[in-house]
Amino acid sequence: MRGSLKDRLTVSNDTRHLLAVRDFTGRMARQGPLPPEEVHKITLAVDEAVTNIIEHGFNQGEKGSIEIEAEWEGEKEKFRVTIRDSARVFNPDSIPSPDVQEHVKAGRKKGLGLFLMRQIMDEVKYRYKDGQQNELTMVKYVKGK
Amino acid sequence: MAGFRIQKEKLTGGVVLVGVKGFLDAHTFEQLEKEFADIFDAGSFRLIVDLAGLDYISSAGAGVFIEAIGTAQENEGNIVLMRPGPNVKEVFDLLGLSQIFTFKDTREEALQSLARVGA
Repeated sequence: MRGSLKDRLTVSNDTRHLLAVRDFTGRMARQGPLPPEEVHKITLAVDEAVTNIIEHGFNQGEKGSIEIEAEWEGEKEKFRVTIRDSARVFNPDSIPSPDVQEHVKAGRKKGLGLFLMRQIMDEVKYRYKDGQQNELTMVKYVKGK
Repeated sequence: MAGFRIQKEKLTGGVVLVGVKGFLDAHTFEQLEKEFADIFDAGSFRLIVDLAGLDYISSAGAGVFIEAIGTAQENEGNIVLMRPGPNVKEVFDLLGLSQIFTFKDTREEALQSLARVGA
């Protein structure tokens, strides 16, 4: 089945939408030549990014929206996911990846999402767009970087 | 809650078998967290978790296991994981958790593994 190579999903900042986010990401990622295990990992990376926004970007009770744009570029050489939100400024570049072994030994269960995003995707870039919007771009190259 | 289900069964020697099904993510992890807390509160610290029905896990779900194995081991118990699907195992591998958790294919093997951890 052929599908569009670019599409967008907007959800509110509620974890109940994570399933829809994963369905959307998986559907888009499957339009290209990635093996199923890579599709799963990209879906996980997007889930982690959106989860971080929902859990850390907004004050309790604050309503917000998150836009996920997925796109195949070139001759389906790279898959780009751009996530935009109006949450408070959050630059993941300012957070170092945890030493996972130490993290786990200490029983700490948070902070692993960013580590997974960086492990899975070839590029993870952040910018504060137009002074009003967080924009996180994650890219996966079909043949690796 | 849709999307995630837990079944619990008491086995011999005070071991508790927990079966999980569906999607374990930031929306559902608190259900499993509560289940583990209830089991620990009842004095059981030797658990087998059957992952065969688990379709998906994110770091929020993995975090529940990280916290729980710490509590179990501090109380002379352990958590043995059983039959993860490839996608679920991949997440444990990516997070380096496969070196911390014991994985077994059958209930018998899991019970044997736990029998070596004090009663």
